[in-house]
Amino acid sequence: MNSEKTVPIIPKDRPIRWEEWLMGRRARRQTGNRVAPELIRRPGSSSDPRLRKLFNGQRGLPFKKSEEL
Amino acid sequence: MNTDQIQRALADIAAESDPPIKLLKLASLVSAVFRERGVELVVVGGSAIEFYTEGAYVSGDLDMCLVSPSRLDLRTRQEIMGRLGAVGGPRSWQVAGQYVDILGEVETLTRSGFRELQAPYGPVRLVSPEDLLVERVLISVYPQRHEPAELCARKLIAVALSGQVELDWAEVRRVAERPEYRIFPALEKLVAEVARELGKDSPYHS
Repeated sequence: MNSEKTVPIIPKDRPIRWEEWLMGRRARRQTGNRVAPELIRRPGSSSDPRLRKLFNGQRGLPFKKSEEL
Repeated sequence: MNTDQIQRALADIAAESDPPIKLLKLASLVSAVFRERGVELVVVGGSAIEFYTEGAYVSGDLDMCLVSPSRLDLRTRQEIMGRLGAVGGPRSWQVAGQYVDILGEVETLTRSGFRELQAPYGPVRLVSPEDLLVERVLISVYPQRHEPAELCARKLIAVALSGQVELDWAEVRRVAERPEYRIFPALEKLVAEVARELGKDSPYHS
């Protein structure tokens, strides 16, 4: 079975429902992982001071792993 | 939305620990309160990339731009964000454990139109993946090579080639060839690379 066919597409000409978007999260993450590292958050930016202050030294909340999506 | 509805939404968002869900719920709430005042917003930048790719890219801030009207006075911004208990301003606020930046008028050269997510507190508009892709490829090359932008572009290309995001490749090409970008050769090369890695055909392969 081709799993790509079961994932709701993010369409161009109509809104996507929240539930549909949620259903596609893991597949989109896994597709991206085939061509780039899993985590690609920038190591720094001009917003660093405020972000690191709010997120205990990080630039945002930690991401879930693919298998948790 | 009345005060109780807003407070419940804020509590839900503050308790959310999954970055993309937290940011998109917040975008939904912010869009709703601005829409009630006749102002349409669109999500841009890293939060929009996250929506399309689930790429583990976004940081702890949500960037939104004005669609209509194209300008909004500071007093109105502060009044609307005040309904959410926001701190700061007049272009950046802290709300529900995140930052929200409301920038100027959205910049878009594509004819693709915005995408829309029916999120828990109302519709969220997102800048098109066509705009994001061309922009990221430009940033990945100029003024010098910038790997984070290239990685975003690679993930966008991958989900589009895999049929998970509907993308107008002809429109991407048209915009990438415009004088404002002049980046099509780099984009074509990157699409070919990603297509080869996925075992798929490039839409630009002749």
